[in-house]
Amino acid sequence: MAQATSFRKPYHREVTATWWTKNPFYVHYMLREGTAVLALFATLEIILGVFLFAMCNLNAVAAGTVDETTTAAYMWWATDFLGNPVVIALNIVTLGAQLFHMVTWFNLMPKAVRVFLNKNSTERLPDIATKLALYAAALGGFIVVLGAAWLTK
Amino acid sequence: MLKILPTRSDEPIFWLMFGTGGMIAAWVLPAILVVMIVAGICPPGIDSGLLSFAQAKAILGNWFLALVLFGIVFILCMYALHRMYHSLHDLNLHSKIFWYICYGGAAALSFITLGLQLMIYCKLF
Repeated sequence: MAQATSFRKPYHREVTATWWTKNPFYVHYMLREGTAVLALFATLEIILGVFLFAMCNLNAVAAGTVDETTTAAYMWWATDFLGNPVVIALNIVTLGAQLFHMVTWFNLMPKAVRVFLNKNSTERLPDIATKLALYAAALGGFIVVLGAAWLTK
Repeated sequence: MLKILPTRSDEPIFWLMFGTGGMIAAWVLPAILVVMIVAGICPPGIDSGLLSFAQAKAILGNWFLALVLFGIVFILCMYALHRMYHSLHDLNLHSKIFWYICYGGAAALSFITLGLQLMIYCKLF
């Protein structure tokens, strides 16, 4: 049997890498997805801090010598790196981006989590209840992390 | 005859980590960023101040807090790189190589962090 050959020439509409700039809705979408890049930046900052802590003279620290030389690597991260105006500015932008992520993430959550109120109807938990619970948890996380950081400083 | 075996997608595992990471990014990351901004504006000393050496030592020297920190780093890496990997399609970049770069990078970054934390914990105590 002869091989069937398709002579069909499907039309593929050309997609450019800048398609999303032409519609504000898609700009919003790309900004929302883009907050992940800044989340990765914040994570890399934390990893750098852990790495530089590991680069300190920890054998001397364990022996009781905690001074400027034995802690130099970590102290560079905590003062010079985090204190750099560019890093402070980037951290503020990242904070804004994460708050934007929080709002958009909680807005889409009621669409993903559909809580039915009973078995006999399709009545669902109001969206506002899901969102309020999530914002309450966010506030709780904020208080716990900041409280722990301040109380042990 | 080509045999087509039913295969199960591995996507739910990555989607689960993405969903968890998205929640952590919304619940915990803003507070961590506030801490880092404040530490940048008021530089800490060795013994006192926000993110001082003593505080970092207390966090990394406590097995529970160290594991929590690893969990945050791991899930945020997975979340951010999963989201970036899927956004690459929107920028017309379709290649399987990005799958390896993103998830491999996330795994490498987080497990290097775990290794460093383990090293710190063993050296300090």
